[in-house]
Amino acid sequence: MRHRIGGLTLILIAAGVAAACRNNAGASADTSTVGRSASSTSSTSPEQSAESHLLVAGDSLRLIEHPENLPAGFPLQIKPLPIKNPYEGDKAAIASGAQLFVGYNCLDCHGADGSGAMGPSFQDGRWHFGGSPGDVFESIYQGRPDGMPAWGGRISNEQIWMLTAYVRSLSSKDLSTENFSGKTVERTGH
Amino acid sequence: MSRVLHAYSAILPLLALAACGGGEKPAATDSASSSGPQATSGATTGTAAVSGAQIAVAHAGPPGEWQMPAGDYASSRYSQLASITPQNAANLKVAWAFSTGVLRGHEGQPLVVGNTMYVVTPYPNVSYAIDLAQTGQPLKWKFRPQNDQQAIGRACCDVVNRGAAYADGKIFYNLLDGHTVAIDATTGNQVWRTKMGDLSRGETITMAPIVVKGKVIVGSSGGEMGVRGWIAALDAATGKEVWRAYNIGPDRDVKVGPRFKTFYAHDRGKDLGATSWPGDTWKTGGGAVWGWLSYDPALNLIYHGTSNPGPWNENQRTGDNKWTASILARDADTGEIVWALQVTPHDMWDYDAVNENILVDLPIKGQTRKVLVHFDRNGFAYTVDRATGEILLAEPFVPMNWSTGIDLSTGRPKVVETKKTAQDKNVKDICPSLEGGKNQQPAAFSPQTGLFYVPTNNLCMDFQARAVTYIAGTPFIGGNAPEKGGPGGYRGEFIAWDATTGKKIWGIKEPYPVWGGALATAGGVVFYGTLDGWFKAVDARSGKVLWQFKVGSGVVGNPVTYTGPDGKQYVAIYAGIGGDMGLLIAGDVAANLPFDVRERGTTLPDIAKWTSWGGELFVFSL
Repeated sequence: MRHRIGGLTLILIAAGVAAACRNNAGASADTSTVGRSASSTSSTSPEQSAESHLLVAGDSLRLIEHPENLPAGFPLQIKPLPIKNPYEGDKAAIASGAQLFVGYNCLDCHGADGSGAMGPSFQDGRWHFGGSPGDVFESIYQGRPDGMPAWGGRISNEQIWMLTAYVRSLSSKDLSTENFSGKTVERTGH
Repeated sequence: MSRVLHAYSAILPLLALAACGGGEKPAATDSASSSGPQATSGATTGTAAVSGAQIAVAHAGPPGEWQMPAGDYASSRYSQLASITPQNAANLKVAWAFSTGVLRGHEGQPLVVGNTMYVVTPYPNVSYAIDLAQTGQPLKWKFRPQNDQQAIGRACCDVVNRGAAYADGKIFYNLLDGHTVAIDATTGNQVWRTKMGDLSRGETITMAPIVVKGKVIVGSSGGEMGVRGWIAALDAATGKEVWRAYNIGPDRDVKVGPRFKTFYAHDRGKDLGATSWPGDTWKTGGGAVWGWLSYDPALNLIYHGTSNPGPWNENQRTGDNKWTASILARDADTGEIVWALQVTPHDMWDYDAVNENILVDLPIKGQTRKVLVHFDRNGFAYTVDRATGEILLAEPFVPMNWSTGIDLSTGRPKVVETKKTAQDKNVKDICPSLEGGKNQQPAAFSPQTGLFYVPTNNLCMDFQARAVTYIAGTPFIGGNAPEKGGPGGYRGEFIAWDATTGKKIWGIKEPYPVWGGALATAGGVVFYGTLDGWFKAVDARSGKVLWQFKVGSGVVGNPVTYTGPDGKQYVAIYAGIGGDMGLLIAGDVAANLPFDVRERGTTLPDIAKWTSWGGELFVFSL
């Protein structure tokens, strides 16, 4: 299956930032929730997350400045704090995300259904910059060094979360073994 | 510089043996047998030659060197070296090999100047100077440029580089992030570096420059990113921009002046580069210059093609969309446009016209004509008067169904109504596919046989256009075009072409598109590589495969030949699958990326069975 852009997508783009949600009735409540999550995401860098864990463990600043003072057995926290996507698994939001994926030209980089093109595939469940909701949000919000544009501030955080939900929903087709008997996908060339 | 004709080409007035009779039927009616990937299918042999054909411009430098991307300004990819012949080619062996340290598609070719070979890699565009005079081929230097990583994601079709040019003690080449650099050929020091392309608007650079009268001529990629295509000249000594001409927009920007004279009446008029577009759509209309450049010193004209118009969705840009999908002739000193030929007006199939223009003098209807020969993405081979832009001949060189032929009174293709693409329609089975009958893989010409040696694709597509919004730095495409093998059960063919009659003389069918270029030699041997990694030597007259060697990765590069310090003839080729065909279409060939595992594409479902990524130079000798 391929995504087709409908009139709806163009309207979504034209309407721009806020009116993107199909459930306008709940927009203000949603926005406040999303706004909190988003601002905490954008203001929390991985370094700060690590630091906050150390703070929990106590006396962290000194430990960071003097890593040789780390007590034996001190657990090294490498995972950031989990950040929840308010739209995770929300079918309607995923459908909106699919339309945004076409409307913002994500499709022509990442391929139909995220099968991979100029940019990496989203279907394989493997992630260059992490696949948690927070990681994916951050990739879209900040961009990535090898060409992923930064969309933060250009589109709404709600839309980024919908894209996040959609992109994560694609990941189901990892192929760790290739024996040339499996299925193939239609690819589009440039 | 005066035009020098090769003396030897006049010495060989070969009999025109069955110029047409020995050839195959036109490709569209081909009844090719299906060939499995393991089969290197035999040539349909014919014997023919065109006598009195000549390359328009002499080889650059001594015959044993390779100083320009195509060996000469004429883009002939012909060498006078003749030690390797049909009689001894079976004895070719690997002399040495060199890993470039870079994966991704190795389009392009090395240069050889004196006893040094120069290699430029795909992004990050590292260059190497290899000492050929010493055993073990040590490096003289290695240059690692500053090269913005963002470029990787802005390049439509892999992060390729099509090579460097040598002049005045310097190596000139382009960086993916839009810079042109000059490197001291002796020391490896950067002499200058000039920003030519705007990455934030999707302008990357993949093409190989040429150096003409102290100017480095460059253009950008980005036909899929809504760029406004340009070509520019830099002072080779300082890196300062001397002129820049756009291919679309008002006459002043396109450099249309009093000398502009198109052959066909409908191509004349004021500001056609803007008025053949709705509103301001020309500002994001493509027409990039990412292909090969040629130069005729006698006419002082540079010949270049322009890419597809953007977006692919034709509804958003009614009109001819000049001068996209065109061949342009420009004054080398000023960039002024002298003639233009739009081979695919209002392109709606992504048929860029950036393929090389090979400058030759050919006997046509009893007269020697100064022509350029151009194998277009659209599937037609054009023989064009290179002084005026008049089409003398245009015939299909691959299976095609979108057009029934070129109207020679207007120069325009006769388009089949049912193969016109349109927004929100899925138009099925268009041939050739958007990869074209031929893509970047350059053809070669031999004055001995008078024939062109052309690596081709045999692919078809369905085309679904859709509305798309321009967002700077993102693709401006608006279409999906899944591809499949063309009629006949083969996906590529290496053919010999007679441009005086527009006929195929022989062909070697290949299981995959032939994405690597050709080399013709005075020894009567022609070389090319295949996507599944075979490097082949072929008899220029009969098309018989004389020798083949399986190199380390699929070939998308172009062979060159040179004389080593030991006096022997060597042939060099890059292995390293990639480019649009190897990366985007083949899909899971990119298995080196642990975070990017893709399902196989339907176009080339089992190419990954035969090859994987790896950038390596292979050098052969007897």
